[in-house]
Amino acid sequence: MCEKQSDLTTNPSHFENQNKTNDTPTHMDLQWDEYKDKIKGFKFFDPHIHMVSRTTDDYQNMAQAGIVAVIEPAFWVGQPRTGLSSFKDYYSSLVGWERFRSSQFGIKHYCTIGLNSREANNERLAEEVMEILPLYIYKEGVVGVGEIGFDDQTELEEKYYRLQLELAKEAKLPVQIHTPHRDKKRGTERSMSIAIEHGLDPSWVIVDHNNEETVKSVLDQGFYAAFTIYPFTKMGNKRMVSIVEQYGAERIMINSSADWGISDPLAIPKTAALMVSRGIPHDVIRKVTYENAIEAFAKSGQIQVSDFELNTPSDPNEKFHGNSVLRGGQLPKWNQNSLYID
Amino acid sequence: MPTSYSSYFYPLLKKHTTESEMKWLDSIPKDNPNALMTAFVKAPRFLSKTIIQEELEYQNLIPNLPGFQVNHWNFVRLSRVWFLSLLVTLPKDELIEKIETLFDTAELNELVALFSSLPILPYPQVWLPRATDAVRSNMGFVFDAIALHNPFPYHEFPELAWNQLVLKTIFNEKPIQMIYGLLERNNQNLSIGLVSFVKERWSAGRDVPPDVWQLLVPYLSEGELYLVETLFKSQRKEDVIAASLICSQSELNSYQLLGTKHPKFPEEIKNGKWDWSKLGNNH
Ligand SMILES: [Zn+2]
Repeated sequence: MCEKQSDLTTNPSHFENQNKTNDTPTHMDLQWDEYKDKIKGFKFFDPHIHMVSRTTDDYQNMAQAGIVAVIEPAFWVGQPRTGLSSFKDYYSSLVGWERFRSSQFGIKHYCTIGLNSREANNERLAEEVMEILPLYIYKEGVVGVGEIGFDDQTELEEKYYRLQLELAKEAKLPVQIHTPHRDKKRGTERSMSIAIEHGLDPSWVIVDHNNEETVKSVLDQGFYAAFTIYPFTKMGNKRMVSIVEQYGAERIMINSSADWGISDPLAIPKTAALMVSRGIPHDVIRKVTYENAIEAFAKSGQIQVSDFELNTPSDPNEKFHGNSVLRGGQLPKWNQNSLYID
Repeated sequence: MPTSYSSYFYPLLKKHTTESEMKWLDSIPKDNPNALMTAFVKAPRFLSKTIIQEELEYQNLIPNLPGFQVNHWNFVRLSRVWFLSLLVTLPKDELIEKIETLFDTAELNELVALFSSLPILPYPQVWLPRATDAVRSNMGFVFDAIALHNPFPYHEFPELAWNQLVLKTIFNEKPIQMIYGLLERNNQNLSIGLVSFVKERWSAGRDVPPDVWQLLVPYLSEGELYLVETLFKSQRKEDVIAASLICSQSELNSYQLLGTKHPKFPEEIKNGKWDWSKLGNNH
């Protein structure tokens, strides 16, 4: 506990504020409660969120806000893993426990599986992980290889990025690319050109964490451009609205990348509410917050839209769920305003 | 060399799968363990999850494995267990390593298939710790795969683990009648656990599944008479029937006497209208 607080803040998960000019987080200056009604009836698909770091409260709020399905990409859990077993446990939680937990709240959970760029730099471990990846990427509900790509843009990162592109090609799975925080523009271009070099169809590749600097090139080359609405960064949802106004809805998608950092699992519904109030047509909003993600990742053959479109509420009392996160027959929604907890 | 039961599964798969599904199943090289393992994982990409609804002949698929049944499984589960049955001819160490890897990397449905396959795998002592662990699983399907319609616990579980399985089944509100060998492995220690379970439930204002009492009948002493008296006072008809069943089956005078004070159901019990199986939640 002798570390300085600042040491802990220099390693954010998906975004880094390079020039230290914090935008006021956009979700603070509008009252969410006042905007909720604007998105009544919308369904949302968050194609990038790390639920392993989130609580059941988040699941409850997400379900209430209209999020019906999520994709959880395999990524860094905040500190390096020291052995193959922790990778196995982590991947297993993505296809197992986390999926089950989410189902208890009526949210369909998919994932992408990959060796993340940060940990690609540990060559011995990376080799071992590559050996077990085939046992994971073919599993049910695995909708892609991801999130892979560059962090520090080292040679090892490139090596395992290329190997995993080949794996995705062989398994006929989409690829989800994590673009680096530092030197983002170059890293993004490099990721795309390597993917093309390996013969991947750009419409099978989703490039995550875009900004104004990268979006045009990503779309021009035929890739999907995903945007992460993450507070305290340069990509707030006000600017997201401008991007949609400028580039339209084709191949653009929004995600929260909510994880163990200061992040917001309601980033998509909040952005949608903002778009509604800015007069963006509903069909455009639906595309960037729902349909495009499905279109891109359904290429895996692993997404059954009926699983989350039919409005069949989850039944946590079903007998096979007998022992669940809902201990002793709790209900998935309880009155958090009540003093009694019973 | 361990017995492979693979030949029992093949006709059933062939009978139900489509031509293209069968083509995929036939295309897997059966002598290549890695191909079998990947096929085990990939199966849902090539097979439907149609549920097997078979006549009685398949309720006990393998004649010298009583209790092992595949009814209500889906094809993916059946084909996965078939793939595993093809692995058993590997040398012991290799087989253990492959199965352990599959366990370590398994998702829920794969775990279900793995636990379902335990009765047909050799070296049961090797899988025992995983099986007893599965009883503690928070995932309902996994629990069901080991606890219900599976003869492995009956043959391999030590008493403590067996009792844990029965208690957990009751706690999870699942039908104890689906536990293979339930009455054969009934025991005194289980009844001690059940009595405290009953008291705990009642103090929380909750019910006890009525068919649970059948496990207590042989072990009830005078000291527990008050429990059955309480049971007679229940608002639920099935509780009162259970109390009557206890009294009609008990060898103790005090219980028999208590039974005569509640004359309605003993008559119907005698006529065969009620027995424990009719009180179970058979779903
Ligand atoms: Zn991420």
